[in-house]
Amino acid sequence: MSPLELVDGRFDKLATELRASRPAVPEGLRNRVEELARVEPEPRREWGFRLPPRRVAFALVALAIIGSFIAAGVTGLGGSKPNRDAVGGPVAGKTPVPESAQGLEKPAGVPYQRRLDKDSLVPQATRLQRYDATLRLRVKDVDALSNATKRAMNLTRGLGGYVASVEYSTRSGRRGGATLVLRVPIVNVQTALAELTSLGTILRQQTAILDVTRRAERESRQLDKLEAELAQIKAELAAGSVPTERRLQLERQAVADRLAVKTLKAKRARLVRSARLARIVLTLTTPTEQAAASPGRFDETLDDAGAVLAREGEILLYALVVLGPLLAIGGVAIAAGKAQRRRSDRRLLERT
Amino acid sequence: MKAKASAEDFAEAAKRHLDDVHAFLVYLTGDRAVAEDLTAETFARALERWHRYDPRRGGARQVARSAALDHFRAEDRRRRREGRYAVAELRESAEPVFGEGLSPALERALAQLSAAEREVVALRIVLELDGEGAARVLGISTTACSTRLSRALAKLEKEVSAGVAA
Repeated sequence: MSPLELVDGRFDKLATELRASRPAVPEGLRNRVEELARVEPEPRREWGFRLPPRRVAFALVALAIIGSFIAAGVTGLGGSKPNRDAVGGPVAGKTPVPESAQGLEKPAGVPYQRRLDKDSLVPQATRLQRYDATLRLRVKDVDALSNATKRAMNLTRGLGGYVASVEYSTRSGRRGGATLVLRVPIVNVQTALAELTSLGTILRQQTAILDVTRRAERESRQLDKLEAELAQIKAELAAGSVPTERRLQLERQAVADRLAVKTLKAKRARLVRSARLARIVLTLTTPTEQAAASPGRFDETLDDAGAVLAREGEILLYALVVLGPLLAIGGVAIAAGKAQRRRSDRRLLERT
Repeated sequence: MKAKASAEDFAEAAKRHLDDVHAFLVYLTGDRAVAEDLTAETFARALERWHRYDPRRGGARQVARSAALDHFRAEDRRRRREGRYAVAELRESAEPVFGEGLSPALERALAQLSAAEREVVALRIVLELDGEGAARVLGISTTACSTRLSRALAKLEKEVSAGVAA
């Protein structure tokens, strides 16, 4: 469609005349421009920034959004690594410190079952150590609770230990719990724990080792000393030339020493026995309510990424709150300046 | 049309646009001598900015208009400065300004129009730009451009009729 067709038909004659009488370019001007065209123009920057500013702005915004999502995703993946030391235990190579209790409690609600690894607290065979473990597991239902209880008892006996106590209860046939106190030979405690943790989902685990070697040695020295003293009394009494008063004193001393020896031996026996048998308190429980599925790695990643995105949103909002008014004022000023310039140009052209 | 006339040689572009730019500036200024100077100025500016020349944004006509506006502003300042001491300039010329072969009535009628009216006539009628292209050069909407053209042509028609009657 010709542009002239857009004009009112009554102006056709006028338009035709104007087009036919178009001003011709004088030869002098043509030469001037041709002369100008011989000058080598500044080379075009083919590599330069040639996109329209609006497109560039859109591209930058898109890049920023994509970047924020990538950052959130990377952070989410990084932040949702499974807690590898959740089962408990120091890093490999660390040994229990003598005469001090060590424990490591695993946080509740571990999302999935883990077995003990080689880095768990391991008692030393060459020393006397008391080993206490507390294990809280969740099993699926009452049937699983019963099976797990039986398996724990059989396992303990199979490993040469015994079941010190069992408390088992169920309620309304759907919920229940069991608490077992197990004594397991300390040489088999790692096997026992590994097997027990496979009975359910770990909710809590705590292990503690107390080295009692020096205490046992001290008691042994006391016992030796008492026995030596007792032997000396016995020898003195056997000599027969002891005055009555002294004899009575020695006999009272001997009775006291014998009592002390007996007590000390019993105490030492208990100490040695406690160091030979680890004590494991196993608590089994069914879910108290229909718990939602534990979040998996993907869910954790999504949660973390969402948190990062929320944080980025907060920062962006803050920046907008701070910079927004300034940008708005600047934008309005620029727009007003352009409008003013256009009005000024129009007035200038209208009066020229 | 190419996004950017990157492969376009400046000399070729100047040759292609020279007639249009000159005609536009003649209509806009109403003065052949000024139009010639501004045409040369237009291509000098285009040469300076050749590396970022974009024909989609009005190209040479936009540069020409910008040069003309600068000229008008300078003239306006000069007139205001000298207005107290000088009488109004009378630009009477026997030579046709707006084109060879125009009737004297149309020539006078064009001279009666404002620069704003003449530039829209030049772009839409003489250079045969469509409404969108003309509006882009003028920096106004297509509707405003059409309105301005209709008013300019009506005024032109009226002036021509009055001139013929006289």
